[in-house]
Amino acid sequence: MAYRVKLQNFEGPLDLLLFLIKKNEVDIYDIPIAEITSQYLEYVEIIKLLDLESAGEFILLAATLIRIKAKMLLPRPQTDEEEEIIDPRMELVSRLLEYKKFKELAFKLSDLEEQRSKIFPRGYYHEIEHEPGGEIELDEDVTLFSLISAFKQVLDQIPKDTFHHIEDIQISLEEQIEYILNRLVNGKPITFFELVSHIRDRLIIVVTFIALLELIKRGELIARQSKSFGEIWIVRKIDRV
Amino acid sequence: MIEFNEIKKIVEALIFASDSPITANRINNIITELDSTQINSIINELNAEYDQNEHAFKIVRLSGGFQFVTRSEYAHYIKQYYKGRAKSKLSRAALETLAIIAFKQPISRPEIDSIRGVNCDGVVKNLLERNLIYISGRSEQVGRALLYSTTPDFLQYFGVNEITDLPKPKEIEELLGSAQEELPFSSDELDGKIAEKISTLDESDIIDDEVE
Repeated sequence: MAYRVKLQNFEGPLDLLLFLIKKNEVDIYDIPIAEITSQYLEYVEIIKLLDLESAGEFILLAATLIRIKAKMLLPRPQTDEEEEIIDPRMELVSRLLEYKKFKELAFKLSDLEEQRSKIFPRGYYHEIEHEPGGEIELDEDVTLFSLISAFKQVLDQIPKDTFHHIEDIQISLEEQIEYILNRLVNGKPITFFELVSHIRDRLIIVVTFIALLELIKRGELIARQSKSFGEIWIVRKIDRV
Repeated sequence: MIEFNEIKKIVEALIFASDSPITANRINNIITELDSTQINSIINELNAEYDQNEHAFKIVRLSGGFQFVTRSEYAHYIKQYYKGRAKSKLSRAALETLAIIAFKQPISRPEIDSIRGVNCDGVVKNLLERNLIYISGRSEQVGRALLYSTTPDFLQYFGVNEITDLPKPKEIEELLGSAQEELPFSSDELDGKIAEKISTLDESDIIDDEVE
């Protein structure tokens, strides 16, 4: 997302144009194109300075305005099949009106949003997202895939060793099962990351992960997360304590 | 045969126990003795009782069902209870985009872009994430663009029962007269009227190559 300075006041080129029409107190069906165009271009200059990303959209409409202005200067106005004079502003006006309609509706929706935010259904707690630091509500079941993706993230975090050295690693599944159970002995849930964050060796992490899957299979542990793709929390199954 | 007063209490219990708006149909399936036309009057009676006894809650119609909610007078206190955990309000860009989708659904992103005159990619993604809109199909036009519609959560979020309860654009009210309140309306109808208003001409000329 681009860093927006003051542009939030204008939701886009049509909004800016509506603002100028209102500010100049002119009739939307009879826009003084020359005057409005020059004012519009002044704003676009500022917009270009501040916010390059959305400037393109403003410039596009500037081009349209200039073209309409040029057409209005033509000595012989264009006509349709019935020899009626075509007002070059017509298309723009209908776009503006269409946009204005929804802009006003958006304000009405905003009122509804405000009213609605004041009434609370029962069970509202479950609807809202949990901010970091708040209490953890562990209610979503974890799939094998989310366990594996958490596992992959841990692996990716290990600094890559460029040296090859061979070491005899003394590690067994039983030891890691013991280790996990010890970490959970006080009954508090911990995250998978906490469980393995201090381990630097890939193989030990792999074995720990297998130990974790084993414990879940045996029904000694439960893995939960507060929301999809959230951190995975591991808890000892309560009825065993 | 269950007494009417008892039926009323069962309805109350069902709405109380439900964690999302419960529809009249569901209620009816459970209490078959209930005449479906009675539900509205039962809700009104219950609400009148809560009013009379100055309860802090009432039953509202939300997204096609009934739900208990607290009265808005107590929002200040409940917000403190939930402090820091409430969802942020929607931005103006999001509200405009939603207004367009609500009244023109199903609608493709290029169409939304052209009404707002800005690229709405980010806004649409955000609305999808908040589950206020969903992808409801693909356009028949060239490019088969995805089409978006509003979700039941959208109705819940704005506290309305059905899409026709939304405020209508001013022009529509003026044109159709207040008696007729049908939505979503046909936009062609509106365009036609605008064209009439502007009187002079046809629109083939100016815009073609500028929208791209």
